[in-house]
Amino acid sequence: MKPTAPVLAAIFIATARLVHGAAEAASQAAIAPDQLAFFEKNIRPVLVQQCYKCHSAEASKVKGGLTLDTKHGLRLGGESGQPGVTPGKLAESSIWEAILWEDDDKKMPPKQKLPAEVIANFKKWIEMGAPDPRETKVAAAGGGKRVIDMDQGRKHWAFQKPVKKAPPEVKTEGWARTDIDRFILAGMEANGLHPVKDADRPTLIRRIAFDLTGLPPTPDDVKAFVADQSPDAVKRVIDMYLDSDRYGEKWARHWLDVARYAESSGKEVNVLYPEAWRYRDYVIESFEKDKPYDLFLKEQIAGDLLQFDDKRDQAQKIVATGFLAIGAKGHNNRDKRQFIMDMVDEQIDAMSQSMLGLTLACARCHDHKFDPVAQRDYYALAGIFLSSDTLFGTYKGVQNNNTSTLIDLGREAAQPAALAKISSAEFAALKRKYEEADKAAREAESEVRSMRTKERDKAGVSAFLRIRGTLDRAETVRADLDQFYEDGTPRALAMGVLDRDRPIDSPILVRGDIKQPAEVVPRGLVEVLCAKGEPLNISRGSGRLDLAYWIASKDNPLTARVMANRVWLKLMGSGIVPTPDNFGFMGQKPTHPELLDHLAVTFMENGWSVKKLIRSIMMSRAYQSGSAHDAANYAVDPDNKFHWRMNQRRLDAEAIRDAMLAVSGALNLYPVDGSPVARAGEGREGLTALYREVSSKPLTCRSIFLPIVRDQIPEFLSVFDFPDASLVNGDRDTTNVSSQSLFLMNNSQAQGAADAFAARIAKMEGAPLDKLKAAYMLAFSRNPTDAELTAIRNFWNKFPDQAAQSGTPKDKVQYAALSAFCQSLMASAEFRYLN
Amino acid sequence: MRSISRREALQTTANGFGWLAFCALARGRTLAVGSPLAVKPAHFPPRARRVIFLCMAGGPSHVDLFDHKPRLHADTGREAPPGTMGNGTGRFVLNGSPWKFARHGDGGMWMSELLPGIARHADDICLINSMQTDQPAHPQAVLQLHTGVTQFVRPSMGAWLQYGIGTENENLPGFISIAPSAQNGGARNYSSAFLPAICQGTVISGDTDAGMADIRNARRTRDEQRAQLDFIQRLNASRLRKDVVNPEIEGVIESAELAFKMQREAPLVMDLARESEATRRLYGIGEKVTDSFGRQCLLARKLVETGVRFVQLTHGDWDHHRQLAAGLTKNCASMDRPVAGLLADLKGRGLLEDTLVIWGGEFGRTPHSQGNDGRDHNGRGFTMWMAGGGVKGGLTYGRTDDYGYAAVESPMHIHDWHATVLYLLGIDHERLVFHHAGRDFRLTDGHGSVAKSVLA
Repeated sequence: MKPTAPVLAAIFIATARLVHGAAEAASQAAIAPDQLAFFEKNIRPVLVQQCYKCHSAEASKVKGGLTLDTKHGLRLGGESGQPGVTPGKLAESSIWEAILWEDDDKKMPPKQKLPAEVIANFKKWIEMGAPDPRETKVAAAGGGKRVIDMDQGRKHWAFQKPVKKAPPEVKTEGWARTDIDRFILAGMEANGLHPVKDADRPTLIRRIAFDLTGLPPTPDDVKAFVADQSPDAVKRVIDMYLDSDRYGEKWARHWLDVARYAESSGKEVNVLYPEAWRYRDYVIESFEKDKPYDLFLKEQIAGDLLQFDDKRDQAQKIVATGFLAIGAKGHNNRDKRQFIMDMVDEQIDAMSQSMLGLTLACARCHDHKFDPVAQRDYYALAGIFLSSDTLFGTYKGVQNNNTSTLIDLGREAAQPAALAKISSAEFAALKRKYEEADKAAREAESEVRSMRTKERDKAGVSAFLRIRGTLDRAETVRADLDQFYEDGTPRALAMGVLDRDRPIDSPILVRGDIKQPAEVVPRGLVEVLCAKGEPLNISRGSGRLDLAYWIASKDNPLTARVMANRVWLKLMGSGIVPTPDNFGFMGQKPTHPELLDHLAVTFMENGWSVKKLIRSIMMSRAYQSGSAHDAANYAVDPDNKFHWRMNQRRLDAEAIRDAMLAVSGALNLYPVDGSPVARAGEGREGLTALYREVSSKPLTCRSIFLPIVRDQIPEFLSVFDFPDASLVNGDRDTTNVSSQSLFLMNNSQAQGAADAFAARIAKMEGAPLDKLKAAYMLAFSRNPTDAELTAIRNFWNKFPDQAAQSGTPKDKVQYAALSAFCQSLMASAEFRYLN
Repeated sequence: MRSISRREALQTTANGFGWLAFCALARGRTLAVGSPLAVKPAHFPPRARRVIFLCMAGGPSHVDLFDHKPRLHADTGREAPPGTMGNGTGRFVLNGSPWKFARHGDGGMWMSELLPGIARHADDICLINSMQTDQPAHPQAVLQLHTGVTQFVRPSMGAWLQYGIGTENENLPGFISIAPSAQNGGARNYSSAFLPAICQGTVISGDTDAGMADIRNARRTRDEQRAQLDFIQRLNASRLRKDVVNPEIEGVIESAELAFKMQREAPLVMDLARESEATRRLYGIGEKVTDSFGRQCLLARKLVETGVRFVQLTHGDWDHHRQLAAGLTKNCASMDRPVAGLLADLKGRGLLEDTLVIWGGEFGRTPHSQGNDGRDHNGRGFTMWMAGGGVKGGLTYGRTDDYGYAAVESPMHIHDWHATVLYLLGIDHERLVFHHAGRDFRLTDGHGSVAKSVLA
């Protein structure tokens, strides 16, 4: 069932109490002496003794942003947005509510309820107009109510539009090749650093191949590149890989990291999302075709509302909005309002971190603690997503209380299918099966309903479980049935977002609590990112289209910068802004602000072409530098902040796996149809079926096509730091832990790859040592050094004997040694590091 | 050459763990440079150095096990006073525990007859009868128990500890979860979330014979493996020669050696057959009812003994909506003796004084009945206990109302409990923070206060 309008309405109807400011202070006239005496005798001592410890400017930590040591603070109230005391109005005095101890969440003082006579005194005092002589202004204690100065906020470097400046003059002649180099070299010169030697040709092609395709270069490619001395050899190689289909499969994965892509709900109950793969394929195609990045973003936020060329184009644009639907969700939540607000929060969080490099979701419960983002900004955005219908699918079940339909893309959309066609007879059988299951469920229900109370109590939990069981069974069959049209053709269903018929604005929820709606704010954009006086509000519909155009705009100071920084980080090993998902006040400052602006503005000038951005970085001498150590440079800049050398980088989990399969000749480059998740089926049984499919035969497809079920990431990926698929992640961890070693040495997949590699080598022509050298070239894209040759010889002379001694049959000894050799190459540091 | 570069790298390590890491190396232990698991200084002197968390999944009935309520017993069959239970509107029939309670130990701690073994350790146990959690639903409460929050993706307590104080044995992972449930958050309950990936729990299957992932090499003898590893390390060292300073490659080298060592040490630690018959009997190993959990408890002792920082065991299912009498009897029979054995064994080896043993589930159960023979979830007041590791033995902390429904005296919310556990390990819960996504995060998420009176 879709979340219906009444559910949403419940969030909004309710006592939307408006926030009153201190302006409403009572008359300034002198307080009557008897009233003053009453305050001094009955109220002030209680406040001092019972409240000041946590609610005064002197408190070590002001709780709830509420200070009670001045009249101003008391009347203004705390973060809840409700006045502490409204003269004459008990109902509008939050401290009255608190001292009554009626609401479990709001009991003050927390340890013990005040005596009845003290409470009575407060009542009397508030009713007499809360006379209060304490006129001193509130000191700005840690948690006092924060008023955001947006003008001041706009001065933050990242909130100002990027401006392209001329590259700086440099002293060192002949090193800089591109504008990027001039920015980098100037930074080095200013810090007394010097560039190191360029990378040699084999190192460079390996770097370029992995960076663009996630795969090692073939020995032929290495040979051709080393031989090609023409000036544009590097450019040719870059273009060759940029044009390869493998490029999209590599770069899409970078975006999937920040889009927290996964094929299940994660969280408490891990419900499968069988149609999530469509979004993955959309991202691959977008990178492959070099879709302008601004359009790429617009489609993900509001693809359903954009103009389209034909049915296929429309379908693709709808699939793009899957970005908003694939986030982690708590399907078992019984409170639909809570479920929806959590989903909206997740959408705001993913969108703002991935596209804007901002943590807007921090403003859900209070104004952002660090950035100039008000809670009002958050709920203005929340209104946009509340006015949109997020369609994520799934079926009702014992732990799934939140389901929706999916979007039928239609036959004419010519979309791929994960399932094979079935015959119309099979469809009819499936339909009958569903009707029977449905009937059984209804019967179980009516049987229990017709019981008398006494009988029902007696039947108790078992009756409930029986109904539940039959219902679940019916839903599981319905899930299968929904996959097909009557003629047995699989339906193309997609996760995504559509506009609701009637947009709605969201109230601010005090402390993010759905039970505490306050002022309703119109749907809108983030104030600090808009020029002063610019309209923030929405022109039509949910506002997603406005939002999409506003984000994917040359006027947005963050969008191009954030992406340029992401691309730089992936190619150079560290971001110009080291915190790629946070450009706010708590993010780190850019090491090269002018270079970042140069990249961002050029990116936009080049029609938001990601390929052009990549090419420009790769063509720089900075990218083509060697990674050698240099003692003098190291002493000044050990972290290589100024890029005096290329960072040594560990390969991503996907690249390690793909490279192992590639060198062993086992990699299947044919793209996968859909996903094993799509074929697994619904519910718990689906998870089990998936596990069976994946563990029964190791998949040999590229890693991007492996099933990504939250919290059940394939071991091959998780062991090499695959990120948490529930979180936006622009910069993966790279750890060196023993479980990786254990995996590479002992896991059957690693051993299988070694065997395949060995079999490939064994078939080659030539003397044993030539074969070993060929394996070396496949694994490392270079020939072994003399010292390494000695090591290889030693191993080759010793290991077969050792294997024979420990009982390996004579005819298997050579093969065992070859397999051990190949595995050693894959388990060595060089295999998983780029120089 | 290697040792020089390593020393140099240690000296330049900006995070300040360098010296400690170096000391560990000097003692002959392997330790990757700047490893997130290097032993780190505590905020104050730790009372406990390691934790065994006996997680009772499903919500054990505190009113039948630890929280003795004569008034509830007396009022069995009557309705609870209006407005005192549930959402305040329903009618609830009170149901006293069918089991007998008695006082145990010098402190006279109440426990039910279902727990004769644990009762013998009453003077080492600090019973907390005033636990509270936010939501009495399994997934949320289990996540809160492990990560402090219900809604978001956060690191588990064990991962925080790894991050906070590191590990004492680099030959084994520092955080191990034995047979965790795949439900109610699953891996989330031992995940590192945004903390360094190495902080996450390593899972060992409940089948103590199965052991750790990829720990056994099925095809090569140890000598063959050593020869193979020597070759790999020659290649690695050859790379290192090109780079005077390369902590990452050193990390690869050291983690490969550690893995090799782990292959030997982990199966040894996990080989329960090496324990004496008396020890095995202590845990109830070899007897049908107690064998499985007994093995896990013994394994936990062996792991903490070798320096593993945090070991979690999961025992369940305690979700007795019905068939409480049979279910609780059965669960206690399989749990009581192994746990008692664990406490006795730890004590006998002098480990209990700095090993914190924690027993408890995500919530407790209602004092009123559900159906004929069951109890519903109750998060407003329930029991957990801690033993050893610097807690006051024999102390009963906090109190629920006369029916055992809600904590009325010294309530200890999960946040407070987390704060207290961290405190026992020498960590200030407000200072153990990790900066992520624009702000500092901590286990207690802006809440929590240390219950100082449970400290010995």
